[in-house]
Amino acid sequence: MLRYSLRRIVLLIVTLWLLSLLIFSLNYWYPGDSLTNMTGIAINDTLAYQQAHSARGFDNGIISQYGLFVSHLFQGDWGLSLVTQQPVFAEIKPLLGATIELGLLAMLLAMILGIPLGVYAAVQQRGPIDRVIMGISLSAYSIPVFWLAQLFILLFAVKLGWSPISGQINPLYAIETQTGSILIDIWLSDTEFKAAALSDALNHLWVPVIVLAIMPLTMLIRIMRNAVLDVLQQNFIKAARARGLSDATIMFRHTLPNALQPVIRQLGLQFSVLMTNIVITEVIFNWPGLGSWLVKSIYERDFPVIQAGLLILASLILFVNVLVDLAHAWRYPQVRKEIDAE
Amino acid sequence: MFKQLMIASGTLMLAACGPVQTDSEVYQDGLVYCSEGNPEIFNPQLVTSGTTVDATSAQLYDRLLDYDAKQQQFVPALARGWQAFDQGRRYRFNLRENVQFHDTDWFTPTRTFNADDVLFSFQRWLNQQHVYHQVNGGRYPFFRSSGLIKLIEKVEKIDDYTVDFHLVQSDSSFLANLATDFAVILSAEYAQQLIAEGNPEQIDRLPVGTGPFEFEMFRKDFVIRYSAHEGYWREQPEIKTLVYVITPNANKRMLKLLTGECDVIPYPLVNELSQLDQDAKIQVGSSVSPNVSFWAFNTQHPPFDNVVVRRALAHAINRPAIIQTIYDGNARLATGMLPETSWAYSPVQQTYPYDPAKARELLAEAGFPNGFSMDIWAMPVQRAYNPNAHRMAELIQSDLAQVGVQANIVSYEWNTFRQRLVNGEHDSVLIGWVADNADPDNFFRPTLSCAAARSGNNRAQWCNPEFDQLLVDAITESDLDQRKHLYQAIEDFVMQQAPLVPIANSLRFQAHRDDIEGVELPPYGGINFRYARRVTDAPL
Repeated sequence: MLRYSLRRIVLLIVTLWLLSLLIFSLNYWYPGDSLTNMTGIAINDTLAYQQAHSARGFDNGIISQYGLFVSHLFQGDWGLSLVTQQPVFAEIKPLLGATIELGLLAMLLAMILGIPLGVYAAVQQRGPIDRVIMGISLSAYSIPVFWLAQLFILLFAVKLGWSPISGQINPLYAIETQTGSILIDIWLSDTEFKAAALSDALNHLWVPVIVLAIMPLTMLIRIMRNAVLDVLQQNFIKAARARGLSDATIMFRHTLPNALQPVIRQLGLQFSVLMTNIVITEVIFNWPGLGSWLVKSIYERDFPVIQAGLLILASLILFVNVLVDLAHAWRYPQVRKEIDAE
Repeated sequence: MFKQLMIASGTLMLAACGPVQTDSEVYQDGLVYCSEGNPEIFNPQLVTSGTTVDATSAQLYDRLLDYDAKQQQFVPALARGWQAFDQGRRYRFNLRENVQFHDTDWFTPTRTFNADDVLFSFQRWLNQQHVYHQVNGGRYPFFRSSGLIKLIEKVEKIDDYTVDFHLVQSDSSFLANLATDFAVILSAEYAQQLIAEGNPEQIDRLPVGTGPFEFEMFRKDFVIRYSAHEGYWREQPEIKTLVYVITPNANKRMLKLLTGECDVIPYPLVNELSQLDQDAKIQVGSSVSPNVSFWAFNTQHPPFDNVVVRRALAHAINRPAIIQTIYDGNARLATGMLPETSWAYSPVQQTYPYDPAKARELLAEAGFPNGFSMDIWAMPVQRAYNPNAHRMAELIQSDLAQVGVQANIVSYEWNTFRQRLVNGEHDSVLIGWVADNADPDNFFRPTLSCAAARSGNNRAQWCNPEFDQLLVDAITESDLDQRKHLYQAIEDFVMQQAPLVPIANSLRFQAHRDDIEGVELPPYGGINFRYARRVTDAPL
C-alpha cells in the first residue's frame, strides 16, 4: 500500500509540476507584456511595475523567473486581476466554496439515485423496468447540459414558477459571503430571517443540482448495472445460493460490496466530467463559482484570472482523482496487486 | 452513513419544492434592479458609461443643482441658490447646511457638507497637481469633452457655505453641465482620511457621498447592494435595501422580470415589448431620451473626405425602412442632430430623402461610377439609441448594394471597438450619442468639434474650424432666440457637410413589476430610485 501510495503521490507531483510549467509558459504565449500577464500590474504604473520586475526575476533568466513564479504561487501572491485590480488569490475562496457546494450536492444526488437504480435494473435484467431505466438513462445521457439547463429554466422557473431562474439566493437577503457555499454562509450569518433565507437558497439550488447530477447519474446507473451483473455471474454467488442464503443476504453481503469496486474507480473520472459540466451550469445559472469566473475572465482577457482559474480547476480534478485512487486501492487490495503486477 | 445521506437529500428535495416565499418584510422594503452590466468604478466623474452612471450618480451622490426636465429649469440641490456676476463670468453658489455624508464601516464623518467638499470635488479634476488627480486613472472624459475643464478658471471658497466659480468666458451651458450626473460632490474629509491611510484608490471603490443610498458591497458580475441613507437631507427613500443584480443577457433579464426575480429592468428588447405589455404584472415605462443614432463617416479616410461621396451615401439609404425594422415604431426619423424635445430644435431644410438614382449620380460625379468597397462598423451592444446595430448594418449593406457600393460589416468586443474607433481605424460606424444635459451644445461639441476629434470622441474624425467658430458663437450668446437661430445654422451646416447621417431619435425603455412605483428615468441622466416604492395592496 505504501509503495502504491508513494507512486500515486509522485505522479501527482509530476503532473502538478507540468501544470505549473504550462501555466507559467502561458504568460509568454498570451499577447501583451509577460510581466503584466503574470502580475496584473500595468506598465504605466511605473513604480509597482519596477518592483514586480525585480521581485519576479525579470532581470535574470527564464529559469529563475520560473522559480520565483512557483514561490509566489506558494506564498499566495497570484497577481492582480487586470479588470478589478484586486488580488486574485483572495477571490478564490468564496468561488471555490460555491463550486464545491454545487458539485458535491450533484455528486451525492447522483450516487443516492444512481446506485439503487443500477442495482434494481440489474436484478430486473431484461425485464420491462430494466428497459425503462436504461432507456431513460441513455436518452438523458445524450442531452447536452447547456440545453438541459435552458429547458429546466423554461419549464420549472418560467412556466411553472417553482424556482427562480438564476443566482444563489434572492439578493435582498443580506448574507455575507464567507465560505462561498450559500448553505454554510446562511448558517454563519446573523440574519434574522435564517429560515426564510435557507428555504430561498434551497429553492435556487435544486434546479442546477439536478441539471448537474443527470450526467453522472446516468453513467452510474449503467456502470452499477453492469458491475452487479458481472458479480452475479461469479462462482461465489452461485455457492452462496447453493448454501441457501436469501436473495437479500446475497445482494447486501456478497454482491454489493464487490460491485461497488468498479463504481468507486469510476468516481474520479465522473468528477472530471462533472467539473466540465459545472463550468457550463454555473454560467447559465449565474452561479458565483470558479467556472463562471473562468469563463468571464476569458471574455475579458483577464490573464491572471484565467491562469488562477485553470490552475485551481485542474488541481482540484487531479487531487480528487488521486484521492479516489488511493481510497480505492486501500479498500480493494486486489487492485494494488493488479497495478503492481507482483 | 448511507442512511443519513438519504435523509439529508430527502429533506433537501422536500424543502426545495415549496412555493417561492414572498411574505417577509425583506421583500417589502427591498427592490431588485437587474442592471445590464458592471459599473467600472463608483465615481461618475471618471467615466462616461451609462451603466456606471445608472449605478452611482442619483443613488450615491448629489450635485450642486439638478435639472427638472418637466419644468425645464434648474432646481437647487446641494446649493440653495446661485447668482451670476461679471457678465456671467463668475457664479456664486450658496451651499445648503446640515447635509450629512454617509456614515459607513469605512468612514465616519465628523462634520456636515461644506465648501471644502465642493472645492475638493472640483479641484480633483480641474487641477492637474491635485493629490487625487491621477488617482484611478486621472481621466475625466466628461469634463474634458464638454470643455468644462478649460472653462473653469478657478473655484474659490468665500466662507464655509459660499463658493465662487470663476469662468474664462461666459458660457450659457455652464449650469447645465453642473447639473449633469457627472458633477457629483465627494467628501473632502474622507479623501483626507484615505491619504492618511495611504489608500487613496479606495475613494472611488468604497464611495462616500450625500445621496439617498449608501454603498454596502459590490461583487463583480453578481451584485451591488445599497441601503437607505438614514440622515438624507431630502425626503427619505422608501426603499430600505436597493440591490443591483448584474444580468448582461437581455433575454434572461426579461425572463427574470416575468418570474419576479427582478423588479425593474433596463433596456427590454424592443421587439418583445408588445408581448411584455400584455402581461398584466409588467408595466413598461419609457422616457424621451435625448439621443440620436447616426452613421458617421471617417472623413480622414478617402473617399469619405469627399463631401459629394458622403452626400451620395446619405441619399442611398432608406432611413424610414430602417426605423420601421429596427425600432418597431419606437423611434422617430432624425432630421438633424437635435431631437424634437430640445428647445433649440427646428426642422432642417435640407435633408437627404431616399433616392438611389440621385445617389448614383452623385457617386459618378465624385468619380466612382462603379461604386467602391467600404466597411461599416456595427457596435456589438444594445443602446437606447440603437437596439440592434448589426441588423441596421445589414439593411444599409443591401441599400448600398443597390447603388453599387459593396459594404462589409465589422464588429469587435465593445471595449476594443471603442478603442479602435478612437484610433480612427474605421471607414464608417453605426453608433450614437446620448446627451448628458439639456443644453443643445451637448449634441455638437462632444461629437463633432475639433477637440472631440482629437480626443477620439468625434466618430467622423471631422475637424472644421468654421464649424467650431459657429459653436463658440452659439455658446457665448445668452439670448435664447438668438441661440436658437445659431443652432439652426449649425444644424444646416452639419447637414450640408454630412460628416454623419442622423438616423433616429428613440425612446429609452424600462420595464417594472406592477407593484413598483416611482422609478424615475429622467431624460438627462441615469435611473433614480429615490422615490421608488412598493405598493402594498398588490397581492403578494
